[in-house]
Amino acid sequence: MKGAFPIRRLVTYFGLSIFYVFLLLPIAWLVLSSFRNSDSVQSGRLIPASSELTFQNYVETFQISNFVTYLVNSFVIAFSVMLLTVFLGSLGAYSLSRFAMKGKKLFMMAALLPQFFPYVLVLIPFYVLMSSLNLVDTHVGLILTHSSLTLPFALWMLTGYFNAIPVELDQAALIDGCSRLGVLFRILYPVAIPGLVVAGFFAFVVSWGDYLFVSILSQSNQTQTLPIGLQTFMSSLEVRWGLITAGTVLAIIPTVIFFSIVQRRLVSGLTAGAVK
Amino acid sequence: MIAVTPQRNSSLSLWQNLGRRSFAYWLIFPVLLLILGLNLYPTIQGILTSFTNQSLIDPSHSGYIGIDNYFKLLQDPVFRVSLGHSLELTFAAVLLQVILGLIMAHLLIQKVPGIHFFRSVAMITWVLPIIASVVMFRFITLPNYGLINIVLKELGLAPLARNWFGDEKYAFLLVLIMHLWRNVPFYAIAFMAAMQAIPADLYEAARIDGAGDWRQFWFVTLPNLRYIILVMVVLHVTFTFNNFDFVFLSTGGGPVNATEVLPTYIYKQAWNGYALGYASAGGVIMLVILVVLVLVCNKFIKGLSEQ
Repeated sequence: MKGAFPIRRLVTYFGLSIFYVFLLLPIAWLVLSSFRNSDSVQSGRLIPASSELTFQNYVETFQISNFVTYLVNSFVIAFSVMLLTVFLGSLGAYSLSRFAMKGKKLFMMAALLPQFFPYVLVLIPFYVLMSSLNLVDTHVGLILTHSSLTLPFALWMLTGYFNAIPVELDQAALIDGCSRLGVLFRILYPVAIPGLVVAGFFAFVVSWGDYLFVSILSQSNQTQTLPIGLQTFMSSLEVRWGLITAGTVLAIIPTVIFFSIVQRRLVSGLTAGAVK
Repeated sequence: MIAVTPQRNSSLSLWQNLGRRSFAYWLIFPVLLLILGLNLYPTIQGILTSFTNQSLIDPSHSGYIGIDNYFKLLQDPVFRVSLGHSLELTFAAVLLQVILGLIMAHLLIQKVPGIHFFRSVAMITWVLPIIASVVMFRFITLPNYGLINIVLKELGLAPLARNWFGDEKYAFLLVLIMHLWRNVPFYAIAFMAAMQAIPADLYEAARIDGAGDWRQFWFVTLPNLRYIILVMVVLHVTFTFNNFDFVFLSTGGGPVNATEVLPTYIYKQAWNGYALGYASAGGVIMLVILVVLVLVCNKFIKGLSEQ
């Protein structure tokens, strides 16, 4: 079929360009504007003169008090959520995939059901619960909260991954004297790396981007993360869009880098259960 | 033959046996504790709260007031407006996402040079924090130096330029567009993966029967995508109906409630109005609607497949 239908090819590129201009233009405009000085941003011109390009916005963003704090908090929380989700999720998935036990279906249902609950309903008693546990305005509170949001997907996806690995591998390892936890770490982990990476990436993205729960549980810049910071920027630095755009670019860089690493596996991971 | 086992050993093996059995439960215990403790328990608690007059000012003192909160909600015009917006937004977003997702998947499955680039960057909008998407859309729609107004002025269409998010007519549309921007590529990629799994001989057979492109899509592609469409629809009905961030961060529900949806309305009742019981009742109504929506989607798509 190669080259046989130039018209078809043309239509394809035309369609793709409509979709991708819509998808990528807001991002490109954000990145471009973050390198323009404030006169240039407000000039109303599309293309900046080369003399108007600057790193000043980035320098100033780092000087704004709290920005670095937001960045550090976001990293600490998102990385912990990622590790906790992959670790606990794989333990649970190992259990569901490899052991006969009563109530397996019930566990699966109970784990997936909360995905459909309105967060705003969960939030109210949740706040009361967290304050009685003294976890309001703590990193631990936010890490546990975000993990509870990411674990259902991780559990579901990893169970599917483990189910696809032949049980004979486990049995051979057990006969060789490997412990039952050893089977998980030494046999299943290496084979299921794509699944673990996708589960971890998903957890990172959810935690890194969460605004709702942080807005309730964080009450000082001890624990506030980038989404709260950017929202504060947007409402308090109203006219300084150079800074706001630079802050936003800095906030998306880690996600973009992480995404470019896992991108190939993301598609198969997210749709694995659904396509089969 | 020799069945005599010392008492000590048998009790040990019993102990080991017990350990072996409970091992699986210990493995899954932390996951269930977190999910049930932090999601299921608060939800049940929230349903109970909806029958009380609990207030954020003094949460420990509250009284049972029956279904008063529900009565008050249904009489509140802002609640009704929000409910309407939530349903419209969910319906419009999910329907358009399925249609645009199918079109984009159809484009992505073509074997043209450079297609791998398009496939690999597609999901980028989905992984970005929602606050970043909101900053981008607020920035390109700024009244004075937003990209859209600049382009309109360059094209000589200056009268069309406006403060898009501040305009009652366009703010809701922009919220819808942000949902499409974030999620359409996810649909496209999921549909594309499912399309690639359809055996080529099905198309071959259809062609031999004289089916053109459109009939092939209708009678071969679509029936094979039923399951993935159902998964994506259920996932996104839930996501869209529950989503708080897009509206709250872009417009806060304004201008004049033009974009108010249930999550933002309920959030404000609880955290700005201190009415926890009242807000919980709103949340319970959301939960009920969501259950109905998911069941209807399920029925509808299953019905389609049996045709």
